[in-house]
Amino acid sequence: MGLTYTTSIDKRPTLKARLKALGRGKKHTRVVRALNEINLDVNYGTVLGVIGSNGAGKSSLMRVISGIVPPSQGRIEVYGSVSTLLALGVGFNPSMTGRANVYLGGLAAGMSRAEIDEQFDAIADFSELGDAIDAPMRTYSSGMYARLAFSVAATVQPDILIVDEALSTGDAHFKEKSLNRIKELRTADRALILVSHAMATIEDVCNEVAWLHKGKLMARGNPTEVIQQYREFIQVGKSAAANEDV
Amino acid sequence: MSAPVSIYEPFRAGLPPLGSYLRSLQARRSFIAEFSRSELREQNYGSVFGQLWLVLNPLLLSGVYFLLIYIIGGHSDSTRYGHLTASLFLFYLISNSLSGGVKSITAGQRLILNTAFPRVMLPISAAVVALFKFVPTLLVFFVMRTALGLPYSWQMFWAIPVILIALLMGLGMAILISCINVYFRDIASFLPYMTRSLLYLSPILYQASDVSEKIKTLEVVNPLFYLLDAWSQVMVYAQAPDLYSIAHAFIWALSIFLIGAYFFLSRERDFAVRL
Repeated sequence: MGLTYTTSIDKRPTLKARLKALGRGKKHTRVVRALNEINLDVNYGTVLGVIGSNGAGKSSLMRVISGIVPPSQGRIEVYGSVSTLLALGVGFNPSMTGRANVYLGGLAAGMSRAEIDEQFDAIADFSELGDAIDAPMRTYSSGMYARLAFSVAATVQPDILIVDEALSTGDAHFKEKSLNRIKELRTADRALILVSHAMATIEDVCNEVAWLHKGKLMARGNPTEVIQQYREFIQVGKSAAANEDV
Repeated sequence: MSAPVSIYEPFRAGLPPLGSYLRSLQARRSFIAEFSRSELREQNYGSVFGQLWLVLNPLLLSGVYFLLIYIIGGHSDSTRYGHLTASLFLFYLISNSLSGGVKSITAGQRLILNTAFPRVMLPISAAVVALFKFVPTLLVFFVMRTALGLPYSWQMFWAIPVILIALLMGLGMAILISCINVYFRDIASFLPYMTRSLLYLSPILYQASDVSEKIKTLEVVNPLFYLLDAWSQVMVYAQAPDLYSIAHAFIWALSIFLIGAYFFLSRERDFAVRL
């Protein structure tokens, strides 16, 4: 499978910019080759960690697997319901209370209203927001915002869960709690794909690791071995910074 | 295994499988309602009157035209005042769909880049917000027309198909313009001038009967002209509208909706890389 797309060079393509560039032979678009000949299968019971430098294509791969962006070459077959945790607080409205946003975020993630009603107390407890759950999210600190967002997202119980850099949430206590929640989701009837720069987390949680570099799959297999290959490649060594979410 | 199977293949311009698309849209209807409600609340967030503005806006608007027609203009023609306010309220249903729809995709970037869902939900939400704003204006208008002593009749039930046509037109316009804005962002800046032109070219500040036959022939290209004429006939004069007006408005509404939906659905898989 591959992903090549044409994107606008300007962040906001406008008529003015087009007119100014007329006759100058200036390009308005560029071709991005985000993924190149990736061949990957993930079975139920697998917890696949995806590692790689910035711009390696990890997020693009997650978006293609979850159907957000169609591939340019090849084919993706997904057996089961997919939930993505690619960014926290997707669908949230800061003007609304935390309570209202639990519903908004849950519905955006594909849950039904009845499911959210059933899970609401668990979500509120997990977020540890207390009475602040009824305050507008505009008044939340970034940590509080992220805690509620993670709590909503972690409640969805899909067949396939894709998590991208979402574990670096809140303070150390909440990070550990989030990690434990992810570990709870590791079951034989579920596949988990985890993108992270935190090698210690990947090694701890995953039973397989895929390493991407410039859109290509460099290696896949045992977490310890692949992480070692990756470390040698980027010559980072086993530093504290590479182990933790920073 | 009974798990749902999704196949993702390279994007080709063309419609996605409509059956599964519509099922997915149906499954997300609660989100559309909640998302629209939250958008509406956000618009009046922090104001003293809050959601009361939904009623205050049409009241104040009709107050301004009362001042213009009765006090400054010196007219005492209640039908003229009724026509102006009724037409303006329906016009706002369309123009609010357009102004809410135009940036619905570009403003929903975070949602689009991080969640797989039918993208058409976003302009639909914009049209739902416009409907939420329209309903209170309808109530205000009924109180007003009673106070003005305008006639009532069974023919006023024609208002239902006229509103449905207006909703279809507003929805089609919201879908079409939201998609155009992904590829051509300047459309959002052109929009106020487009809606202002539509306001003056449509029978709102004047009545359709005041317009010469020659101009009326040209107004065939204005999607709103005969819709607003039919609305005025029903709501102000309590008469059945001309079938030509209804047919004209319906054909325009259906065409805009079908063209908008085709354009949108055939391009929406490309949106994530365009934002």
